[in-house]
Amino acid sequence: MSYQNYVIAAYGVFFAVLLWDFVAPRIDLARQLRAARLRAARTQTRSANTEELSRAE
Amino acid sequence: MHPLVRWFHQLGSPPYFDRFAARWTPVAYIAGILVMAYGVWAALFQVPADYQQGDSFRILYIHVPAAWMSLFVFGLMAFYSAIALVWRIKLCEILAMACAPIGAAFTLITLATGSIWGKPMWGTWWDWDPRLTTELILLFLYLGVIGLYNAIEDRRSAARAAGLLAIVGVALLPVIRYSVVWWNSLHQGQTISLFGKSHMDASMLPPLFAMIVATKLWFIGSLLARARADNLRREAGKDWVLRLARGTEASR
Repeated sequence: MSYQNYVIAAYGVFFAVLLWDFVAPRIDLARQLRAARLRAARTQTRSANTEELSRAE
Repeated sequence: MHPLVRWFHQLGSPPYFDRFAARWTPVAYIAGILVMAYGVWAALFQVPADYQQGDSFRILYIHVPAAWMSLFVFGLMAFYSAIALVWRIKLCEILAMACAPIGAAFTLITLATGSIWGKPMWGTWWDWDPRLTTELILLFLYLGVIGLYNAIEDRRSAARAAGLLAIVGVALLPVIRYSVVWWNSLHQGQTISLFGKSHMDASMLPPLFAMIVATKLWFIGSLLARARADNLRREAGKDWVLRLARGTEASR
């Protein structure tokens, strides 16, 4: 194949960028779901603490 | 109500859109990868080498679909932005802003593969040619939209500001398209026409059409995935997001 290195480089760039385009939203999605779980855990802890305080009174 | 109209209204609901995107993202990606696999195989091993450019012309099969996508995605982003600005539809804001990084990725592919193709054919990696320069400006416009959207804290104000930039930027699309006609350009003129006669031999066209379809399918998958993530960010704190997060945890 003539110009083989150029063809490989071009297809390499193409697949590297598409790979980033595939991975980036997945990382973002996982981050959002993790943030939602942490938020829920914080809310649960806060409400549990409030209940304990009200019983002590 | 007509079922299609009802479905369109339902799609505006964030939880419904999340379910829709979660269901169709893998389908679009898998279909895109399958068509792309055929396109790349045929482009590299099936079609004959060009009589003048040799095998370097095989770069065309990724360069041209990416270039078309860079223009198409920008047009679509501006279309969604216009709908979002006029009717304040939140989903259209999300979809418009999800278009920007994908369009930027395709523009980057266009510029990089064009540069790699240009070196053996033109003897240079880069030239301030009208087509190349306007495509570079398109990349900067995409980056501007992404930057503006992330610079403003309020998501809705950010989407409106970035959407306005996208609408104004549409003026660049015909300039890119006709740059090879209006100016004396190093870049070759139009060789492929979807509706007219192409200057390429018919034996070279099937992989190109496959890659055009594949990049569209890939775009749908990526758009839904990105829009889903942004939808969750905007809806953070809502009960349905919490249930979804717990469900994801339970399914692990």
